[in-house]
Amino acid sequence: MTILAGCVQAESDPPQFHLDMVQVSANQLVPQHQQAIADILDAMFGTPDEPFVLPETGLDLRKLKMAAGPSWSDQGGTKHGLYRRNCAHCHGISGNGRGPTAAILDPYPRDYRPGIFKFKSTYNPNEPTDEDLHHTLMNGIPGTAMPAFSIFPPDEVAALLEYVKYLSMRGQMETALVQYVVDNIDYDSVTGEADPIDLVNDPDLRADVMSLLTEDVVAKWELSEEDVIVPDDSTIPPDGRSVVEIAASVKAGRELFYGTKANCTKCHGPTGLGDGQQDDYDYWSKAVKTFEEGTTALAATIQLDKQNLAKLDGDAYKNAQAELAAKERELTERQEVAAMQLPPRHAIPRNLRANMFRGGRRPLDLYRRVNQGIAGTPMPATGPAMPGAQGTLTEQEMWQIVDYVRSLPYEPASQPQMRPLNSEAVVN
Amino acid sequence: MNRFWALVFLLVPVLGVATFVVAPYYHHWFPPDVSELGRVIDRLFMFVLWLTGAVFVATECTLFYFMWKYNARSNHEPIKFSHGSHTLEVVWTILPTVTLSFIAIYQMNAWADAKMRKPDVPITAEITGRQFNWDVRYPGADGVLNTPDDIFRYDGQIHLPVNEEILLLIQSRDVLHSFFLPNIRIKQDVVPGMAQNMWFKAKVPGEYDIVCAELCGWGHYRMRGRVTFEPRADYEAWLKRMYDEQEAKTVAMTPSE
Repeated sequence: MTILAGCVQAESDPPQFHLDMVQVSANQLVPQHQQAIADILDAMFGTPDEPFVLPETGLDLRKLKMAAGPSWSDQGGTKHGLYRRNCAHCHGISGNGRGPTAAILDPYPRDYRPGIFKFKSTYNPNEPTDEDLHHTLMNGIPGTAMPAFSIFPPDEVAALLEYVKYLSMRGQMETALVQYVVDNIDYDSVTGEADPIDLVNDPDLRADVMSLLTEDVVAKWELSEEDVIVPDDSTIPPDGRSVVEIAASVKAGRELFYGTKANCTKCHGPTGLGDGQQDDYDYWSKAVKTFEEGTTALAATIQLDKQNLAKLDGDAYKNAQAELAAKERELTERQEVAAMQLPPRHAIPRNLRANMFRGGRRPLDLYRRVNQGIAGTPMPATGPAMPGAQGTLTEQEMWQIVDYVRSLPYEPASQPQMRPLNSEAVVN
Repeated sequence: MNRFWALVFLLVPVLGVATFVVAPYYHHWFPPDVSELGRVIDRLFMFVLWLTGAVFVATECTLFYFMWKYNARSNHEPIKFSHGSHTLEVVWTILPTVTLSFIAIYQMNAWADAKMRKPDVPITAEITGRQFNWDVRYPGADGVLNTPDDIFRYDGQIHLPVNEEILLLIQSRDVLHSFFLPNIRIKQDVVPGMAQNMWFKAKVPGEYDIVCAELCGWGHYRMRGRVTFEPRADYEAWLKRMYDEQEAKTVAMTPSE
């Protein structure tokens, strides 16, 4: 009987959302404020099992309920808990891209919380449209572990899409709240007193929080639907071009690619293998890297302070000792948080000869990549940063680069390199 | 009491046979076969099943008989030892050898048709398995793979012409997978670094499953797709639509995704 006792499924605690500890630790938020922020987010967005949204978000709660909660099927065969069933093992319960399988994946799964998505049709700083997210869900991302969900029923895909936006908005709200607390709520490190955050009894605070939601979070998502990159009809290469015309365009694109105006070879390398600059980071790795560097710097400061401590006496010594103790506590916390993160990875530029375009291979997709770069990565925009602004390349030049890039996988490299310079990193 | 155990052992052939009899009624049997070679493969399966089933029932019943007849409670005579029977040993070596050799030779043609006699047709599509998705690349209008007019699809929905000999090039991007079409009765492991061919002919148009049949990681169970067999005209129209979508240069041209 004792052997069988272990077979009984214990009721485990339902999973909970967690705050972004890198953000919390970097801003040195005290536990009371962390709890207050978590409570506000719970009030505004609910829990992984029971989602909730304010009408201002424009999200459909019915779809969220299909996606949220534990994974199970009812008598009629309808599947519940779609997110946890299909997505959470990579993207994590909070959508932080740190699910149980994330550590073994290259590239890492997307962290939804900053609201930055790489492959979209909008201007670089903006959110993706529903169409963009739908395309990613339906087709997956080739060259990564993101699979296609096209064989799923359309209502399940729609529910997952809604839940991704929900997690993203929640993450953006969390960042907005952290920033608000840092800017507006006092904490006295000497006395240890933290000003209270009382959403229930403070109407000004409620108003501030709501405006954070509508202006800092929701407005950006609504804007994205209008801000789709639509190439100008007059510059789009016509269909049915002759071989000669295409070759001329490819030639012009080649000159731009290897020239200084577009400067593609700086990252994509002298033969487009992606072996140029490889030591930059994408947004998500950079956040961790910056945090790690801050931790190292803090450790160095503590060493210096310890040396200086010996030279002080009396009250100055007591104060310095208290400060040093506080810094050491901070260092321990930062080290714990850093240890839990996925190791930051360099952003390796795409090997353009591999014929694998993660964001889509249509001329329109490549045009959007050249025009707006890839949000969250070092791939820069050569087009306008927002509608009406000026870019570095004209639309015609962008299309020429697109033609060249599409021809690259079929172009024999003159004096071809046998292997890229950093072949371990350029395996894509 | 020992006779009780003899009866328990008798349950093995009884329940074993019962499972196979009852399975089709619970839809735990073959998925519909729509291929040309599937008939032969299913017939072979049933032949081997009946043959081994008969041997199974015979040996289990013999076991039951001996357990029943010679159980310790009911037998009070002194034990008799035998030095074995040379004849018996020869018989029960020769018979299985002949049977197994027969099966080995009987199936050779089917195996050769499925795995060795590659049809002389151009490659219809290149299928790449990755963790955990099936990607496909069609040769496009020029009929040659690895040219600029190739059509790439990553959504796991593969279209192929019906009633035509199809030749696939299958490969893996990362680890072992197996491209399995249950309704065509064909599967082949995709081995990293090894491009292989797979061929078949589908006889009935429709949508069927693609599943991964080699454990490839935590997503193996959900590495699925749909293959659609359609008449050549529809297939080519679909390819053209996919090619046009792939060549989209402007927003108005893209169909709703």
